[in-house]
Amino acid sequence: MANREERLAAIRRAFPEGSGVVELAGGDMQTLRVDRQALPALARHLKDDPALDFKLLLDVCGVDYPGREERFEVVYHLTSLEHGHRVRLKVPVREEDPVVPSVYGVWRAADWFEREAFDMFGIRFEGHPNLKRILCHPAFQGHALRKDYDPGQRWLLREGEQEEPAWAKEAQEDEDHFETQVLNLGPSHPATHGTLRTVVRLNGEVITKAETEIGYLHRCFEKMAETHTWNQVIPYTDRLNYCSAMMNGVGYALAVEKMLGVEAPPRAQVIRLILSELSRVMDHIVDVGANLNDVGAMTPFLYMYQGREELYSVLEACCGSRLTMSYVRIGGLSNDTPPDFEDSVRYLLKRIPKLIGDMETLITENRIFRGRTEGVGAISAESAVDWGWTGPCLRATGVAYDVRKAHPYLGYETYDFKVPVAHAGDTYARYLVRVEEMKQSLRIVEQALERLQPGPIITDNHNVALPPKEDVYTEMESLIWHFKLIMEGMKVPVGESYGYTEAANGELGYYIVSDGGGHPYRIKVRPPCFAIFQAFPHILEGHMVADTVAIMSSLNIIAGELDR
Amino acid sequence: MGNPEVRPPLPVVGGTGTAGAVAKQPDGSQVFLTTKLEKLLDAARKNSLWPLPFGTACCAIEFMSFMMSHYDISRFGAEVVRFSPRQSDLLIVAGTVTDKMAPVMVRIYEQMAEPKYVISMGVCACTGGFYRAYHVVQGIDEFIPVDVYVPGCPPTPEALLQGVVKLQEMISNGETRYQRALAAKRASQAQAGG
Amino acid sequence: MITRDVVVCEAKPLRLVQRLYLVEIAKGLAVTLRHFIANLFARKYTVTIEWPEVKREYSERLRGRHILLTREDGSPRCVACYMCEEACPAECIHIEAEDVASSPTVEFEKRPKVFTIDLLRCVYCGFCVDACPKEAIVMSRVHEMAFASREEGVVGLDQLLQRGPFEKLDLGYRPYYGTPRSRIELPIPVKPRGGIQEGR
Repeated sequence: MANREERLAAIRRAFPEGSGVVELAGGDMQTLRVDRQALPALARHLKDDPALDFKLLLDVCGVDYPGREERFEVVYHLTSLEHGHRVRLKVPVREEDPVVPSVYGVWRAADWFEREAFDMFGIRFEGHPNLKRILCHPAFQGHALRKDYDPGQRWLLREGEQEEPAWAKEAQEDEDHFETQVLNLGPSHPATHGTLRTVVRLNGEVITKAETEIGYLHRCFEKMAETHTWNQVIPYTDRLNYCSAMMNGVGYALAVEKMLGVEAPPRAQVIRLILSELSRVMDHIVDVGANLNDVGAMTPFLYMYQGREELYSVLEACCGSRLTMSYVRIGGLSNDTPPDFEDSVRYLLKRIPKLIGDMETLITENRIFRGRTEGVGAISAESAVDWGWTGPCLRATGVAYDVRKAHPYLGYETYDFKVPVAHAGDTYARYLVRVEEMKQSLRIVEQALERLQPGPIITDNHNVALPPKEDVYTEMESLIWHFKLIMEGMKVPVGESYGYTEAANGELGYYIVSDGGGHPYRIKVRPPCFAIFQAFPHILEGHMVADTVAIMSSLNIIAGELDR
Repeated sequence: MGNPEVRPPLPVVGGTGTAGAVAKQPDGSQVFLTTKLEKLLDAARKNSLWPLPFGTACCAIEFMSFMMSHYDISRFGAEVVRFSPRQSDLLIVAGTVTDKMAPVMVRIYEQMAEPKYVISMGVCACTGGFYRAYHVVQGIDEFIPVDVYVPGCPPTPEALLQGVVKLQEMISNGETRYQRALAAKRASQAQAGG
Repeated sequence: MITRDVVVCEAKPLRLVQRLYLVEIAKGLAVTLRHFIANLFARKYTVTIEWPEVKREYSERLRGRHILLTREDGSPRCVACYMCEEACPAECIHIEAEDVASSPTVEFEKRPKVFTIDLLRCVYCGFCVDACPKEAIVMSRVHEMAFASREEGVVGLDQLLQRGPFEKLDLGYRPYYGTPRSRIELPIPVKPRGGIQEGR
């Protein structure tokens, strides 16, 4: 892994001083300020140069700085799978001329991310094939994440104003002069797992062209984060990937704690790890179960869901709510676990493998299931990396990239577990990888239970965490800390940071910009399903209609995370 | 429904609020304009509600939990979860409805055949919850009439079960929107005829 | 960075026995029949809770409906400091304060004239309980409240004040945990002994 000077030297070979690329000092990762004319050439150089090898584009987002002369800034996050290093590019643009060249030609992952930056800020990307609004509806006026946009300003969408793809409106004939049919799947559909819409053109049963539309669950997480304090954002993070709510909160807390320079106590870290891995098991139960349900196997879903119910009762005993836990706080956790937490987790470690075993007996070697899923939805490893895939879907194509191994956090480097990979890249491979990941997660939980020692569960830095209740009721000083934290919120130092963890679907990133106040200035969530789902219309071509549901549910698209 | 010449015309009390549209007799007692056959039909309907889960967000996961073996709505006759509006009579809106999704919800509601009931599950569907935002509908009753509001974020399956039981009680008392509209129509017809 | 600590999951090719499928049918039926017979004859394996006759016991920390605790004389402990209103992410609490004309100490100078919670906006996150400096607001284990209209969901001071002695309240999420319960109730339901279990 090269360090910053070596990478800068590799960049300077092609872009000497004065060609529009400036390195900004400090920061949590190497940051380059790039002029927009230099961007396409720099992008090509970063991807192709073997010392740099930035093949995975993680995120493209915009940030609004109304006080500056160059009001908008487009921020790119890149990583290299080969070397493991990361870089951030920032391209400032003025308000009068918000045009940036698109990098779609270099990384196809930029497709939907650039559309979102256009939707939220009004920044136009030159050369993008399909620059339309993606999250807000077509009758929406204005650009929602600009600082002068009122958070409560709504626009009504009437019946006839909904989006229709242009190619769907014209009639088309195939080579035998039969008219092809356009079919709309979703957004209210039994198998679309939430609110996803796919429009396909069919030649008989074979799909010749497809387009997806998302945004049916755009709940404005990023704008809500700007109007609430740092701790009040935590219930909102729970509702991002609601199947495994704890992991989003842990990712957010780790990102903010990195900026604050605060660390959670060891007991809190172990509990966070145990509950994150159990949440991963919960998410895979839902995803594999829903996948099986959609191809017709309803029994295993009923069996495995019982495992999820038992996990719920452990979570409910810890924090009070089954699904949206709000258990994490910045600096630790909100309460300690009940005294019999260890025993009930050990009971679960015996119970869940039995339920998974029942499902595997029924399904894994089953000829019907394999006929339905082998070869369906296959994608190659290079294509997946180009589209920005991470997580189990990428590991099913053969690329063994897991943030827990590559950039460990919460002590993952001290645990003994393996990362499952498969090579086929199809739906069956994704199923196998997820089932194996469930087993590996249970192994990690077993090891973590050994390390659970008594101790505090939240940091005692009272600029960040609420003081314990006994002190608030009796001491004056604690009451004042308590009062300041609730009324004004904690103050995070000025700066920016990109915190990333391995969520159930892939790399969940939080790009946080702080202006020193009690409210976040900008939080951009890098959702793993966003990058995965943008490849879906391209995978679909050539498959039959019934394969649509098999592929979509194997990609584990959770609309709360996709649309935020 | 009685001989119009014998009975005096019945004033109808309005159909808003929890008191359903009833017909008040001049002596102050209330009469629900239903027949014995309709009571039998209501008993049949309340024990075989077929839900259409319009599940958008986290409440859809709790709805799945409610359908699975642990809580099991099939004990209430509602096992047949049909995603087609023509084959169901209970619309459960589970999760946040955004402005982009609202026309879809209205279209599905209009495609359902009468009698139809609506349960709004979760605070996002009832009032918009804590999303006071630019793309979220602040309560589905901006667009469609709701019979039962179930609070919780997400409501536990027991809370939703209690909501379904409450709806069953409302059906047997004649307090749902469909029954109140029917009673009002009959009362106005009786008034016009009498 | 790509890791080398991997386990490779490959699709194993199907043997002839599996392709013929008869043995697979028998194996599948064995699994489902095992569950069926276990449920039929040993009712303790049945995982269904027959609500409302049998109710699962909620955890000790469930975040349900709020309760405003009172002092010995029956007046609310709340001093209308507005911290719960600030801490609430959903802005569902509304308080109007008034002075207490005859207050015995300086500590209880104010009390709430109006204290409403919109239960249909509340996300049951518990931040108000964490924020209260007087332990005046706690959450109970009542989570089953369905309303017939939006107005019914806005509850005021009279409905929120605690009724009955403190020991008899069915408390859920609160700042102190007193004597913690010694068992997490895993969801295997308890069959009622003779008839309907009394409600909580």
